[in-house]
Amino acid sequence: MTNLYQSILLILPEIVVSSVLIILVLSDLIFHKDKRVIPFIAGLGIIVTGAFVINQFGITGFAFQTSSQTVRNYGMMAIDSFGVFFKLIVTASSLLILFFSHASNEIQKTKDRLGEYYALIFGMILGMFFMISATDMILIYLSMEMMSLSSYVLAGFTKLRDRSSEASLKYLIYGAVSSGLMLFGISIVYGMTGSTNLYVINSLIQAPQINLFALSFAIVLIFAGIGYKISSAPFHFWTPDVYEGAPITITAFLSVASKAAGFALLIRFIKTTFVSYIDSNGSWTLINVFDWKPILIGISILTMTLGNFSALWQDNLKRMLAYSSIAHAGYLLLGLVVFSNQGLIAILIYFIVYLLMNLGAFLIVMLVANKTGSEEIDDYNGLGYTSPLLAVSFAIFLISLTGLPPTAGFIGKLYLFIALVDAKMIFVAVIALLNSVVSLYYYIRVLKHMYLVKPTESTATVVPSLNNRILVLALAAPVLIFGIYFAPIVDLAKNCLVILGL
Amino acid sequence: MDFYNIIFFLFALITIVSAFIVVTSRNIIYSGFSLLFTFFGVAGIYVLLGSDFIAVVQIMVYVGGILILILFGVMLTNKIVDVEIRTGASHMLPAAIGVGILFGALTAVMVFTGWKSEPGLVPQTTTVDIGKLLITDYVLIFELLAMLLLVALIGAATIARREKE
Repeated sequence: MTNLYQSILLILPEIVVSSVLIILVLSDLIFHKDKRVIPFIAGLGIIVTGAFVINQFGITGFAFQTSSQTVRNYGMMAIDSFGVFFKLIVTASSLLILFFSHASNEIQKTKDRLGEYYALIFGMILGMFFMISATDMILIYLSMEMMSLSSYVLAGFTKLRDRSSEASLKYLIYGAVSSGLMLFGISIVYGMTGSTNLYVINSLIQAPQINLFALSFAIVLIFAGIGYKISSAPFHFWTPDVYEGAPITITAFLSVASKAAGFALLIRFIKTTFVSYIDSNGSWTLINVFDWKPILIGISILTMTLGNFSALWQDNLKRMLAYSSIAHAGYLLLGLVVFSNQGLIAILIYFIVYLLMNLGAFLIVMLVANKTGSEEIDDYNGLGYTSPLLAVSFAIFLISLTGLPPTAGFIGKLYLFIALVDAKMIFVAVIALLNSVVSLYYYIRVLKHMYLVKPTESTATVVPSLNNRILVLALAAPVLIFGIYFAPIVDLAKNCLVILGL
Repeated sequence: MDFYNIIFFLFALITIVSAFIVVTSRNIIYSGFSLLFTFFGVAGIYVLLGSDFIAVVQIMVYVGGILILILFGVMLTNKIVDVEIRTGASHMLPAAIGVGILFGALTAVMVFTGWKSEPGLVPQTTTVDIGKLLITDYVLIFELLAMLLLVALIGAATIARREKE
């Protein structure tokens, strides 16, 4: 170990998250009678974490370098602005999820287990932070397990509902299989190169004696583990059931933060392991060992098509949003397929937008479910007349999810398509465009139920509290503002492209 | 065939046969006890490979801890002992094709890959080196594992607690 002291300074946000986790466990014991203080500790913890993450902006460096003499010294973690960006996405969504949890009847009913709920959320955040920065396969695997273990439990947190337990068990079984596959792939790569560090593997797989078949096999296995986390096509089967069964706050968290961490991991994994150099135009040249491009194109087209077409028949809104989040994983993969900095910018912009609109949509579904106790589409009949604020905001989020102007979703899709067209992948861009058209049907269908069906006596009148109204507006306003004035998010994305490389 | 190979195949045979019983047995107690031999066989292979520490951990944690827990869990859950477990097979053809392809690919990978090998002697004991690595190069992993165990404990407590209606 050569730089323990510097390393600790580089992982301050992670240390803060761990400390808050422990503080939450302890305060759960101390404030045994009255647990109202715990959400505030959690919220404060998130804000402090966010401050430390922002403080890291512009700092680059390797943490926890090994003392091995034979290979060049790279660390277990790379601290760079790309990582800071995704950590900010995770932090922001965690903060919003804490507000959601405070407003959710489902979670508030489990009052005496609140301490565990927040502690497990911090467990997830810790896992995600390490996933975002990890450059060593051991750390990648361990951080994914850290996140998964917490989310298995959280998915089944409301134990009185059968669906919730089913979701938890399904998540656990699929997760165990995929991490087993991933571990197997890692072991093959380790057997071939003798290293678990991505940078070292990058230089070793360029050697001619590497068996390309074994390497490709291992990569497919590793991708199975990561693809499961971002719910891309062949590994997406768990998503609808888990998203429907889990408490809605956790569903929202999984669909944004967990996906962001998975994408950060995938991008960093491909960039550090397989890219040999970046030319002056910002396009990445891959090492000629594994042909990522056609595979990723195939997976992303399959992912978005499956997601969009399955969503057409869903009557449960949580399930529909689950399929829509699968489709969005497909769009996001397109940004990676381009293999250029331009594609990366598109992904980052899309994530900011996706965070706002997807969490917003889940918030509305949750507020309606608080009142009606169900997420079926028929319960939204005539909602536009009885609860105008919610219905209008929901319309904004859904139009943004489709990708129509003047919402931020349009900007996200626009940058993705420009990146595709610039890379001369017009055919793929056309397929993605057609997919957006398909998605229009199921998003607009909700609007039809809200506005074109007259309200009856059974139509719920949802009047959210002042806090929740502010929360809804705080999510809906940026979706509109960023749809027209999007320079800030583009600038932010352009400043966050540094992925520590060779 | 020399002595080393004979021992290896003996342990491999124990592992595979008992693993087969684990998945095919209809009685969960039999499955549990067969698992004991599977773990034992794997530990034997670790010893042959010169990784003494992992072999001991395998016996202490898996045989001594996890397996006993499984058996106690089975015994304390009074209903589960006489439950007939369905071990039927469905979708035989697609499963056979999938498993066949996977087996072929794995065999090809194992046979044709030039695995990296380092010259040098197998160390007498690995425990000291593992210990040193865990608190120097891999200290982050070690600490993160501690957090992982904490989260696992909290999660287990959450699941195990009875919910009041």
